[in-house]
Amino acid sequence: MTGRAALASLGVVVGAYGAFRLLELGWANLTATLVWLAGGVIIHDAVLAPATIAVAALATAVLPPRLRAPAAGGLLVLGTVTLTAVPVLGRFGARNDNPTLLDRDYTAGWLLLVTLVLAAVGSWSVLRQLTGRSQTHTSRPANGVEED
Amino acid sequence: MNGPGRSSIARIPREEHFTSRLRSPAVSARIGVWLGICFLVAFVTGLVSHVTQSPSPWFPLPTRPSWGYRVTQGLHVVSGTAAIPLLLVKLWSVFPKLFARLPQGRRNQALVAVERGTIAVLVAASVFQVASGLANSAQWYPWDFRFRATHFALGWVAVGALLVHVAVKLPVIRQALTHGVDDPALDRASATGSSGLTRRGLLHSTWVAAGAAVVLSAGSTVPLLRRVSVFGVRSGEGPAGIPINKSAAAAGVVAAALSPAYRLVVRFGGRTVELTRKDLEALPQTSADLPIACVEGWSASGTWTGVRVSDLLALVDAVDQDVQVVSLQQDGAFRQATLPAHFARDPLTLLALRLNGAELAIDHGYPARLIAPNRPGVLQTKWVARLEVTP
Repeated sequence: MTGRAALASLGVVVGAYGAFRLLELGWANLTATLVWLAGGVIIHDAVLAPATIAVAALATAVLPPRLRAPAAGGLLVLGTVTLTAVPVLGRFGARNDNPTLLDRDYTAGWLLLVTLVLAAVGSWSVLRQLTGRSQTHTSRPANGVEED
Repeated sequence: MNGPGRSSIARIPREEHFTSRLRSPAVSARIGVWLGICFLVAFVTGLVSHVTQSPSPWFPLPTRPSWGYRVTQGLHVVSGTAAIPLLLVKLWSVFPKLFARLPQGRRNQALVAVERGTIAVLVAASVFQVASGLANSAQWYPWDFRFRATHFALGWVAVGALLVHVAVKLPVIRQALTHGVDDPALDRASATGSSGLTRRGLLHSTWVAAGAAVVLSAGSTVPLLRRVSVFGVRSGEGPAGIPINKSAAAAGVVAAALSPAYRLVVRFGGRTVELTRKDLEALPQTSADLPIACVEGWSASGTWTGVRVSDLLALVDAVDQDVQVVSLQQDGAFRQATLPAHFARDPLTLLALRLNGAELAIDHGYPARLIAPNRPGVLQTKWVARLEVTP
């Protein structure tokens, strides 16, 4: 317990130092920061998380059971990696005077990612069918709620 | 991936509406370990970057290895990028907790309120750090706060909140990690629903996602991945094979840099020497293989040729002191930089005139630029106009 208390105390000190550094930057900087701090949580909790649930519900409704696990894995990889690519896909930081910045065809890159994920999902589901693994998972009760 | 029952989608759900066994401490704790490692690496390398950019007499930085900053800042961006899929799946796995009922009793409620407060700080700071860092790495600044100082402050907040979170959750973490990943002991009470994906499958998909996010972007700093990184912010192309961060046009120095009136001024107290570009070329030339490594995480190595800064300072008999390196730029945060004394005397610290065998391009800092080992790109002053030492 003392170890945990020490760890928590250290965390409070470290966090308080960060808060102090943030306050030091002035009121205007603080309000601009708070907008982004709150915005991030709201976008995650009110947009991203429900959207994930909706996509999962849709995928469950349209996909045959044997495809659910590979599709879930594929959607996870595609969705999260796509989010990391948002700044380059939008080329928001591009500048006319600097052709060495954001100088790839990011849309083509994304389509390549989609192709790779689809190929992986396809091979995974074929593999599952060949090894008969899908039966052991889909035979369990789903507890009355749409799953996967 | 599953969520609340159909009937509850329109209403605010409750914790027990989430029935997936995947939303379990077995998953959260295992992803949390790697997420914590990523945060720690990003925090430590962030501190290094901060000290490097704001030299402090308490933390004198070494000039070797010359690729030091390239590695630490590359790691900073790589760990932050890997953290994004990890954070998203981690948040997914604990999402039902957001709707958990408050316990009975004032004291318990107060405790839970405090704990949830720390979680709110942790989540807000974490999302802020990865989102702002990601946008910054692509030179996108859609905000009104000062990025560097704010990102630094919230790094401390995120790590502080993380330490508190680990302290609070330690028993749960210990239980989760000492049981098998599929152990039903780690099911939430309402969460016995099973779908296609197993916990193991979810974890493997998460590792693949984190790895893919890194491999597809890290080519901007890892030459081996250059062709694979379809989301790299830079392909690595540029004048003399090196990309550019800020162009001469953006810095507003084109006319001054190309002017025949250009002189490099080297000053030590009352002693001043003025050198034309021709004079600089006539001085003994030195070549050095040094990386240009930017705070945004990209880096590239080149062969720079020019005059040793120590040779230039010797022209005015400057003693071993910090040097102010001033650019032709009229404004901008990095118009002027301090070159600590031990960097100034380093034989690899050059005022470069050429890059990879070609004349220095104007966007690389023609007529002359600073290049020193183990130093962030923003401090490798381009279009150098003055080297000043105050006695």
